Amino acid sequence: MHYRREIVLRKLLSFCVNVFIAVVALAPIVWGLSTSLKPTQKILSLPPEIIPSEITFVHYRTLIAQNMLTYVGNSMIVSLVTVMLCLTIGTVAAYSLSRFEFKGRSLVLLIIIAVMSIPIASLIVPSYTLMASIGLTDKLVGLIVLYTAYQLPIVIWIMYAYIGTIPREIDNAAMIDGYSRLASLRKVVLPLCGPGLIASGLFVLTFAWNDFVVAAVMITSDSVKTLPVAIYSFLGYFGREWGPLLASSMVSIIPVIAIFILFQRYFLSGMTGGSVKG
Amino acid sequence: MSLALLLHSPRRLRFNPTEGFALALVVPALAMEAMFVFAPLVVGFWFSLHDVRYFNVGRFVGWDNYLAVLNSQLVVNSMIVTATFAALSLVITFSIGLSLALYLERDSRSAVLMRTIVLVPYVVSMLVGSLLLKWLLSQDSGVTQALLLPFGVSDFSILSDPKSAMGALVFNAIWRDSAFAMILLLAGLKSIPRELHLAARVDGASAWYRFKRLTLPMLKLPILITLIRLLMHFANSLTYPLILTAGGPMATTETTTLRIFRLGFSDYMLGRANALTFLTFILNVVLLIALVRVFQKNGKL
Repeated sequence: MHYRREIVLRKLLSFCVNVFIAVVALAPIVWGLSTSLKPTQKILSLPPEIIPSEITFVHYRTLIAQNMLTYVGNSMIVSLVTVMLCLTIGTVAAYSLSRFEFKGRSLVLLIIIAVMSIPIASLIVPSYTLMASIGLTDKLVGLIVLYTAYQLPIVIWIMYAYIGTIPREIDNAAMIDGYSRLASLRKVVLPLCGPGLIASGLFVLTFAWNDFVVAAVMITSDSVKTLPVAIYSFLGYFGREWGPLLASSMVSIIPVIAIFILFQRYFLSGMTGGSVKG
Repeated sequence: MSLALLLHSPRRLRFNPTEGFALALVVPALAMEAMFVFAPLVVGFWFSLHDVRYFNVGRFVGWDNYLAVLNSQLVVNSMIVTATFAALSLVITFSIGLSLALYLERDSRSAVLMRTIVLVPYVVSMLVGSLLLKWLLSQDSGVTQALLLPFGVSDFSILSDPKSAMGALVFNAIWRDSAFAMILLLAGLKSIPRELHLAARVDGASAWYRFKRLTLPMLKLPILITLIRLLMHFANSLTYPLILTAGGPMATTETTTLRIFRLGFSDYMLGRANALTFLTFILNVVLLIALVRVFQKNGKL
């Protein structure tokens, strides 16, 4: 009897702890979503309504009038092209590092680790300095190449760990069957890399979609603004008009949250830098 | 080409065709890093040694830019702010991350769900995270008033008082990054063989004793890695202060990275901005070495 009561108490306690943690983690996001759906006059009303009594999409419509679709489009272009570049360049490099012994191999690995540990914030001024002198600021291409350079090391690292788990005998067998090295990479090794590619692809995708610091520095023209830069300029433009500001925030984070929930396992392996369990 | 000719040219013989192929595959990646990570650092360093007005690189001034930023009251202030912010955030975020990892270690259904929930603030962009907190903590939202009223405080703006603004900034870091620490530590926890814990239990070790004598020593490397990654992140925070507090009130939350950002992109002093970047860089390296040393002193890694 006594033992049983202890179990019930424990469960109750851990339930309360869980609820507390969930509220702290999610409250700002839920509160932002709720505000973005309220009519303007209700947003500042006291006491605040947690669940809006009246739902409206007026703030989202305001955004469309503010070129929102262009910004979302720019962000999508930059994110997708960056992912493709990173995966292509990263996978061939990882394949080479995992399959061949060559002079300078350990130096290449060292460079990868070094770049991974440089904080991006400390690269922005030097990067801006260089990009401005070669005329690549204020262009989507400029963002794409910078993002690719920043994210390549992590992609190589994840893919290097992943290809290492695929037995060499498989590519040897393919080559005995008449495939060239490159063909065996493309037709035999690559199809087995699915989980590694998804993990690193998602990592790069969320980075490029979420990045604000690099884009804020490089981009000034309205036509090439990515979503986060647009949100930042809304912060100046709308000031204390929280409705459209929070609506634009929701447009930015809802896709990421959805992808995260769908592909959680891959996300985690990207965060811990490799070790994907297929 | 005949075999004899090949044999007579040792340089050609030393060249291994697979080696060339292997190099060719890494060249694109290396070229990207060289052009967009290392070249900027070189150009930035060059700028930091010159008198730069907007984009006109003027005369060579040696270390003048470095001395100028070190003599600047704002820069010194920003370093103190960064140290305060980084130290507080590091200690609290790490503690919460470790607690979460231990609490959610078992793969029960509720633990898996809770891990997903705490990770949501980490996956959304830092910009939006800080913006949402800014809204929550602003006087407009009415949430803080509702929370503070029971304490007899009715008209207080968290973001415009120096102490509470720093508190809010630290809270922002904890809110977003605790789950990141949790994930890194969780990976370490999972690699400790279960048998060790079972054996210790059979020997009658209490939960606290097992944590101190088994979990912590086995977790040493993951702990070091987590601390390094958190420290580098907090010591170079730009988005949190830029969005949440805009460095205010009166530069009390202006971190070094935000100072660099303003030197570069509000004042257009690219020479000084680059100089401060490299100074911060060196400081980061020193911090890292110090951290690793502390760990080495407490036994082997």
